[in-house]
Amino acid sequence: MAKKVVAIIKLAIEAGKANPAPPIGPALGQHGVNIMMFCKDYNARTSDQVGMVVPVEISVFEDRSFTFILKTPPASKLLAKAAGITTGSSDPKKTKVGSITRAQLEEIAKIKMPDLNANDVEMAMRIIQGTANNMGIAISD
Amino acid sequence: MGKSWWEIQVQCADCLEESMFWRLETFGCEGMVSERKGNTLAVTAYYPQMEAQVLDLAALALSIRQDALCMGQEAPVVTWELIAEQDWSTSWKDKWETTSIGDRFLIHPIWLPEPEAGDRVILRLEPGVAFGTGAHATTQLCLEALEMRLGEDPGSQTIVDVGCGSGILSVGALLLGAKQLYAVDNDPLAIKATKENIELNHLDPARLIVDEGSVETLVKMVPEPVEGIVCNILAHVIVDLIPQWEPMVKPTTWGILSGILLDQAKLVAEALEKHGWFVAALWKRGDWVCLNIRRM
Repeated sequence: MAKKVVAIIKLAIEAGKANPAPPIGPALGQHGVNIMMFCKDYNARTSDQVGMVVPVEISVFEDRSFTFILKTPPASKLLAKAAGITTGSSDPKKTKVGSITRAQLEEIAKIKMPDLNANDVEMAMRIIQGTANNMGIAISD
Repeated sequence: MGKSWWEIQVQCADCLEESMFWRLETFGCEGMVSERKGNTLAVTAYYPQMEAQVLDLAALALSIRQDALCMGQEAPVVTWELIAEQDWSTSWKDKWETTSIGDRFLIHPIWLPEPEAGDRVILRLEPGVAFGTGAHATTQLCLEALEMRLGEDPGSQTIVDVGCGSGILSVGALLLGAKQLYAVDNDPLAIKATKENIELNHLDPARLIVDEGSVETLVKMVPEPVEGIVCNILAHVIVDLIPQWEPMVKPTTWGILSGILLDQAKLVAEALEKHGWFVAALWKRGDWVCLNIRRM
């Protein structure tokens, strides 16, 4: 059947733990999407990544059916992993909590490229660097 | 009093999405929702009311604005409001209702009270994720076309359903009295949904053989050429499938095709003609059409 998309919703949620509580319930409920079915499918498809945040992009069609695709992990998670930290800085301008190399930044930018509104790797690197700055992660050459 | 949530909404440049996730997660929100609207992003996150005061939210808004300014972006608009906890696992069902289609069908989402059938056939439906809920113009057109095709002597009709989705068309055909249905879909969730809907409608599973696959699977399933073909997918998919139907058709075979936009109808009609079909009737609803076809 023809599929006309009425909404594209991206959810950044933890793998294997989708449930009808916010943010999933209100986000999908307003479009009449079968929430429990989504949770079941998402949890099944991410069961091998429990502990990770696995964003998902859900396309909701005219008749309230849906499909979804899994996306790349949030940049903040990739940055924290690369920097070997668990939390960011409460005052990122004054206190740096870790650092990554420019090569690591580029690698993260390449991983994230498919999900960023960026024309090239340089632009993707600027976006990721902005997140790193806000987290208090320094970039070294 | 039930639990309440702060619904935090942020309107920002879309390049701030990654940074926004980190900021909201650091605040304590478990996950976030984002929807792109042009170059702007609407982000929504939730936090239990009991665990945050307005001052905390104001501080969060300030941090979000600072993050944006540090990235050379305009300050996002941050708002929040309280929403009451609901049973979201079932609230989505409120959007659904029993729907009359054509002259015969009454589509009944299974969680609603059983309606008065009157002179209509109740088609019970648990849609799952699969396409085919009765809410779409193409499904409605196909069901109406089935009513026409199965108006006389339905008990002699064997029909194939290519891309069955929730099974709504196959189940509908059986409820109208068709003898036998064979259905395929390349989505395993559609197969599961179809089997559930056979059961919900108290139909003999032997009358609807359903399997994962496409036309080549169907060709192996049907023992002899069939009376009817139903195919509600997409125009370009249908065009590719038309030549593959040959082993299943006979001179009297009819077809019901939809999932076709009005401006795609000519393309499909031309492909049909090349393979010995003609369009006997074109039905239109909104932007969509349904082609009722016959052999030349």
